[in-house]
Amino acid sequence: MAAFDTGWMERWQALVNQDSVTKIIGRHLTTDVLLAFGDTAYVVSFVGGTIPQVLSNIGPESTYAFALRGPAETWAKFIQPVPPPMYNDIWAMAHPLHGRLQIEGDVKVMWQNLRAFTWTLDLMRNVQE
Amino acid sequence: MANIEPITGRYVRVPYEGEDYRVFYEEAGQGIPLVCLHTAGTDTREWRHQLCDIDINSDFRVIALDLPRHGKSIPPQGWWKEEYKLTAKFYSEFLMAFCKELELDNPVIMGSSMGGNICLHLARNFSSDLRALIAIEACDYSPGWWLDWLWNPHVHGGEACATSVYGLMAPQSPEEYRRETWWYYSQSGPGIFKGDLYFYSVDHDFREMAEQLSGDIPVYFMTGVYDFACTPEMTEKTARKVKNSECIIMEEIGHFPMCENPVTFKKYLMPVLAKIRQTG
Repeated sequence: MAAFDTGWMERWQALVNQDSVTKIIGRHLTTDVLLAFGDTAYVVSFVGGTIPQVLSNIGPESTYAFALRGPAETWAKFIQPVPPPMYNDIWAMAHPLHGRLQIEGDVKVMWQNLRAFTWTLDLMRNVQE
Repeated sequence: MANIEPITGRYVRVPYEGEDYRVFYEEAGQGIPLVCLHTAGTDTREWRHQLCDIDINSDFRVIALDLPRHGKSIPPQGWWKEEYKLTAKFYSEFLMAFCKELELDNPVIMGSSMGGNICLHLARNFSSDLRALIAIEACDYSPGWWLDWLWNPHVHGGEACATSVYGLMAPQSPEEYRRETWWYYSQSGPGIFKGDLYFYSVDHDFREMAEQLSGDIPVYFMTGVYDFACTPEMTEKTARKVKNSECIIMEEIGHFPMCENPVTFKKYLMPVLAKIRQTG
């Protein structure tokens, strides 16, 4: 089992769904997000701060509101328990000065739910490899 | 016995360009005036640790002010009819007007982020009235932050502004203080953070001017390694251009040293303050 494979994603999904803080700050986080770790991509469905579904078979008919795409090496640094400088935050990685992560699509819902969304991503650091 | 902090908060009227600004400031200690500048969209609370630190306020009169529209400093007349955009001209001239009203004798100015960037403009135009500049998380050009999402009625400004800066802090900084900084950022008025960032990312472009500074006032650059808005490399590049400057890179800290990790920051700050004391 390796980071970003389907088993790893299932464990992250479970962490999010068990997390008490996400239930509080993520009540309005309802959207579909594509997360691409290099060539490995998933559509993660958030509903009220929970993740009922993660789709791994991404194809022409897959739909999502916005996408986060970055090299697996970038994400691997992001999920370290103590991430190195410039890799500890999605905006750090995506800022035009750095460009290690691409954020695309209808990002309004991301900005509306930025605290809850980034909180769930930070939970990736707790996923057991 | 009550545990009362040494900070005193007061208001001073600061006349500037026909406006009578009511400005809130906090101070503690006695000695060399040390004026502390908050970051974009926040207020004096960022400096509460340094204000209360006896190792600092025993030799320095530590003063932190809320810029107009921030904290307890109310906006000028007619604010409701204009888009707020902070400029280098207003920021630097207003700070000097504040120092004049308090009759500060050759103060040291210490600011972070936009408060660090303004130090370059102060060095250019007001160096004869100042003792030294401590430019924290500063560089000659810091693009990429003047974002519409930070002031948009579809987005909760407090949550979005605060979360947008959360990752600027180092994971080694105590979570309690990182969340406190988030809290400050969640409380600015609509459009104020974005308006400050107009200065930070647009009006502040010192790339062609840094080498022209006379060097008649010492400038201490201090940048944390986790600052992705003003990276150590950006500060080092700027410092190489500025005569009579020193560049200090701080490990395990980010964009808000004074409030995200006052203990780590103090290790780097005290030698700078000692140098300023020794040089009078």
